[in-house]
Amino acid sequence: MSEVTNGVSRRSVLKGAAIGTAGLVGGGALLSSCGGDAATGPLSFGARTVDESPTKQLKALVAAYEAKTGNTVTYNATESNAFQNNLSQYLQGTPDDAFQWMAGYRMQFFAEQGLLVDLSDVWEEIGDQYAESYKIASTGLDGKQYFIPQSWYPWGLHYRKSMIADIGMDPEDIYSWDDLMAVLEGMKGKGLIGLASADKGGWEAMGTFDILNARINGYQFHVDLLGGREKWTDDRVREVFTYWEKLLPYMNTNVLDLEWDGAMQLLLQRKAGLFFNGSWFGANFKEQSDADYEDLWIIPFPEINPEHARDTIDAPIDGFCAAANGANPDGGKDFVKFAGDMEGVQAMLDSGIPMTSANSGQDTSTYDAFQKQQLAVMGEAKYITQFLDRDTRPDFAGPVVGPALQSWFKNPKDVGSILESLQSQWDALPPL
Amino acid sequence: MRTATVVEERYRNRQKIKDRFISLFIGIFALIWLFPIAWTIWSSFRPYKDVRAYGTFSWPKEMGLGNYSEAISRMELPTYLTNSIAITLPAVFLTLFLGSLIAFVVSRYSFRFNVGMLLLFTAGNLLPAQLVFIPVFKMYLEIGDLVGNRSLLYNSQWGVVLIHVAFQMGFATFVLSSYMKTIPKEISESALVDGASVFRHYFNVMLPLLRPPLASLAVLMTTWIYNDFFWALVLMKDDNKRPITSALGRLTGEFVTDYNLLAAGAMIAALPTLIVFLVLRKQFVSGLTLGSTKG
Amino acid sequence: MASTAVGGKTRRRRAFSKKDRVTLGVFVGIPTFLHVALVWFPAVATIGLSFTYWTGIRFSDIKWAGIANYVNIIADTPAFRIALKNNTIWLLWFALIATPLGILLAYQIDRQIRGHKFYQSAYYMPVILSLAVIGIIWNFMLRPDGFINGLIGRDITNAVSFFGDDRWNLYVILTIASWRHIGYIMLLYLAGLKAIDPSLREAASIDGATEWQTFKRVIFPSMKPVNIIVVVITIIETLRAFDIIYIIYGTSAGMPILGVLVFQNIAGEGASMKGAAYAVILFVLSIGPILAYLRQQFREDVK
Repeated sequence: MSEVTNGVSRRSVLKGAAIGTAGLVGGGALLSSCGGDAATGPLSFGARTVDESPTKQLKALVAAYEAKTGNTVTYNATESNAFQNNLSQYLQGTPDDAFQWMAGYRMQFFAEQGLLVDLSDVWEEIGDQYAESYKIASTGLDGKQYFIPQSWYPWGLHYRKSMIADIGMDPEDIYSWDDLMAVLEGMKGKGLIGLASADKGGWEAMGTFDILNARINGYQFHVDLLGGREKWTDDRVREVFTYWEKLLPYMNTNVLDLEWDGAMQLLLQRKAGLFFNGSWFGANFKEQSDADYEDLWIIPFPEINPEHARDTIDAPIDGFCAAANGANPDGGKDFVKFAGDMEGVQAMLDSGIPMTSANSGQDTSTYDAFQKQQLAVMGEAKYITQFLDRDTRPDFAGPVVGPALQSWFKNPKDVGSILESLQSQWDALPPL
Repeated sequence: MRTATVVEERYRNRQKIKDRFISLFIGIFALIWLFPIAWTIWSSFRPYKDVRAYGTFSWPKEMGLGNYSEAISRMELPTYLTNSIAITLPAVFLTLFLGSLIAFVVSRYSFRFNVGMLLLFTAGNLLPAQLVFIPVFKMYLEIGDLVGNRSLLYNSQWGVVLIHVAFQMGFATFVLSSYMKTIPKEISESALVDGASVFRHYFNVMLPLLRPPLASLAVLMTTWIYNDFFWALVLMKDDNKRPITSALGRLTGEFVTDYNLLAAGAMIAALPTLIVFLVLRKQFVSGLTLGSTKG
Repeated sequence: MASTAVGGKTRRRRAFSKKDRVTLGVFVGIPTFLHVALVWFPAVATIGLSFTYWTGIRFSDIKWAGIANYVNIIADTPAFRIALKNNTIWLLWFALIATPLGILLAYQIDRQIRGHKFYQSAYYMPVILSLAVIGIIWNFMLRPDGFINGLIGRDITNAVSFFGDDRWNLYVILTIASWRHIGYIMLLYLAGLKAIDPSLREAASIDGATEWQTFKRVIFPSMKPVNIIVVVITIIETLRAFDIIYIIYGTSAGMPILGVLVFQNIAGEGASMKGAAYAVILFVLSIGPILAYLRQQFREDVK
C-alpha cells in the first residue's frame, strides 16, 4: 500500500543516466533576488505544442514576461511531432531565441553540438529553487547547464474511479500484478477493454516496456540495457515480453492504429478500464468536464518483483532552452530565466491549467486531488528515469526500438528474433 | 458481300451492347471513385458534436457552413493561402520563363551542347527530392551567412520558390523545346534575315507563339507546386510562413479531435486547384500531350 | 566567316554579335546555374556524404566512413529488407494493376463512350488534390471511427485496423496510391491517344476487328513512346513514394519504404549519413528508368 502523503519526502539522488527524485519540498522556497537586468530587446519563443491547454499556459507566461520587462515576444507554435523531427535543422538555421524542449540525452546531444546557450549562470541565480536532481537533469555532457525545467509528469496506470468501483474493486487498492489481472478480468467480464493501448507513433509503447523492465529486472538493469551495457537478447528482457504478452488479450485490437489520444478516448468514453500513459492528458479530461477530471486517478504500475517493488518510474521533464543561433540569444536566456523563476511559474499556474511544476516554490497546497496523487506516485519512487527515447541514443530509440516494438505487437511470438535484431542493430550503430 | 455486311453489323451491335455495359461499369466506378471526396465534403457540413452524439450515419440534425467559418477563423487559413500564392505564382512564372530561355536556345540554334542540356535538365527533373535536401539546406544557411541574413533563403518564401524552379525547369524546358521544334524554321530564318538580335528573336518572334504550351504548362505547374509540401516542410521553420498544404499536416495534429472541422479546412485547401482544374481542363490535357509524346 | 561549303550543302555559320553572345550566355547561363547549383551539386554532395559519418550539424564533424553506411543498411537493418519488399510489391501492384487500369480507362474514354467527359474529370480529380488533402480524406474513411468501420458496424473498440494491421495495411495504402495513380496514367495515355492517326482505327474497323483486337494489335503498338513513358513513370513514382506514408504514419516506422527510410535517417535527432546512403540507393535504382526515359525522348536527337 503506498503511503499517500501530502507532499513528498526527499529521496537519495542517484548517479547515472537517470535523475533522482523530484524531491519537492512543500513550501519555503526562496525567490532568488533577480539582479535587475537591462532590457534585452525583442525576442521570439518557440512552443512545442499547438494544443489548447498548454498553449494557454505558455501564452500566460509570455504575457507576464512582456509585462515585467517590456520586451516583445513573438510566439511561434509548431505541432510537437513536426517540431521534434525538424529540431536539428531548426537549431542550425534560424531558431527562436527560447524554445520548449526535453531533458535527457536529447538535450545533451544538441548542447554537445554547440547549438544551445550555456545557462550555468542562470542556474547560479535561480538554482536554489530546484532540487539537485533537476540540476543533474539539466546538465550537459560537459558539466554545464543548458536546460531550465518547467514541468514533469509521471507515467502511471490511469483509470476512472467509478469504473473500478463498478467492477467491485477498491480504486485505492490496486498494488500487485494479481490485482492488475483481476481488474482486467473484471473489465473484460463487463465487455470492456481492459487496457487501452496505442502505438501508432512508435513511441507510446516504450513507456510500457520501460515500466515492465524496471519492475521485473530493476532500475540498474534498465539503465544498463539502454546504455548498451546489457544485452537485449538476455533472458531478463525476454521475461518482460512474456509478462507483456499476458496483457495482450485485454487490449484493444487496433493498437497500431491509435495514437495516445485515441487510447485516451477509450478511457474518456468509458470503453476501457485502464490506461498506462503520462499524466499530461489530465488537461484533456478537464476540458471535457470537471466531473470527468475528478473521476480520473493514477497509481504507479503494479509491483511484479518484490525485490524491486514500485521503486522506479518514468517521469520525463519538459522545460526550456535558449538557442545559440537565435537572433537574440541573450534575450532567450533572459526569458528562460524568467520562466524558471517562481514568477514565471506562477504566471503559468495562474492560467488555470493544471501543471506539475518542477519548481520547489510551487505551493502544492493549491494542487487538486489528481495533482497531489501524481506527487504521491512520484514520491513513492526511489529512481526516476526519463523515458526510453530520452535515455538512450536517438538513432537507436526512434528508428530501431520503435519499429521493433510495433513488430512485436504484430507478432508476439517472434520475440526471439526481434530481440536478436535489436541487439545486432545496437552493435551496428556507428560510433558517436 | 452481303454476308460481310451482316456480320459487320452484328459485330457492331454486339459492340454497342458491350459499350453500354462498359459505360455503365465505368460510370458506377466513377461514382465510387468520387465517393471519398463526397463523404469528406458531406462531413464538412456537419458539426462534429452531432456525429459524436448520434453517430457517423445519423441523419444530420444540423447542416451548414459552420465548420467552414470556424476553419477560416481558427486555422488561419487566409495566412496559409496567401503563403501558397506567394510561393506558387513566382515559382510558376520563373519556371516558365527560365525554361523557355533554355528551350529557345536549344531548339532554334544548333549548338553542340543542345542535347546535353536537355538530358541534364530532364534527368534532373526526375531525381528524388530526398537526394538533395540536406546539402540544399546547408547551402541556404551558408549563403545566408555570407550575406549576413540567415533568413535570406532558409525559412523564406524565396528559398522554396528557387528550389521548385530548379527542379521543375526541366519539364518546362522539355515541353517547350518539343513544341518549338514544330514551329517552322522559316519564321526564325526570316527574323534573322531581318537582322534581329537573339533577344528580339526570342522576345518578339518566338515568345508570342508559345502561348498554347505556356498556358498548359502554367496550369500543370501551378497544380504541382501548389500541392507540394515536402520543401516547405524542411526548408521553413516558421509554421506561419508555410503554404497551406504543409500547414494541413500541423492542423491534422491540432484538430485531431474535430475531424469534421479538419475536413472543412482540407476542402478549402483543395479549392484553388479544383477551380483551376474545372475551368482550365483543356489546358491540362494538352499540357500532358506535349510532355509525353513528340509533336 | 560567312559560309563554308561542305559537299553540296551550305552550312551557314551564324556570326553572333557580341550582344548576341551575351544574350545567349545569359539565356543559357542563368537557368543552368540554378539547376546545377540546386539539383546536381547537392545530389553529388549527398552521394559523397553517404561515405561519411556525420550528424549533419558541424562541418568539422565529418568523418570518412567508407562503405560502412551501406554495409550497415544491407547487412544490419531489417527495415531495409522490409522496405525493399514493400517497394517491390508497390511496383508490381502499380505495374500489373494500377497502370493497366489507367490505360484501359484512357482507351475507353478516348472512344468517347457515353459520359466520357464526366468520367475523365471524375477519375482525374484525385490527381489534382494535394497529398495532404488525400491523407485527410482517406483517414476519414478508414479511421477507427470513420466511414468504413461504421459501415461494418464496428466502433472504436473493435475497429478494423486498416493502417496498423500488417496483413492488409500495405494494400490499403496501395489502394489509396492507386486512386491517384490511375487517374494520372489515364490522362497521360489519353493525351497520347489523341495523337494517333484516326485512319489507323478506321482501317482496323473496316477489317472487322473487335475493339479489343483493335486495341491489342493496332493502338497499343503504335503507342510505344507513350508506353515507355508510362512504364518509366510507374517505376519512378514507386521509388519516390513518400508523401502518402508521411501523411498517414508520420515518421514512425509503420510502413517502411525507401523514401521514408531516407527521411527518417536524415532528419530529426538521430540524423546520420545513413539517410544519405538510402538516398543514393534510391537514386541508383532510379537510374535505369531515368536512362530509359531519356533514351526514348531523345533518341532522334542523339543520332
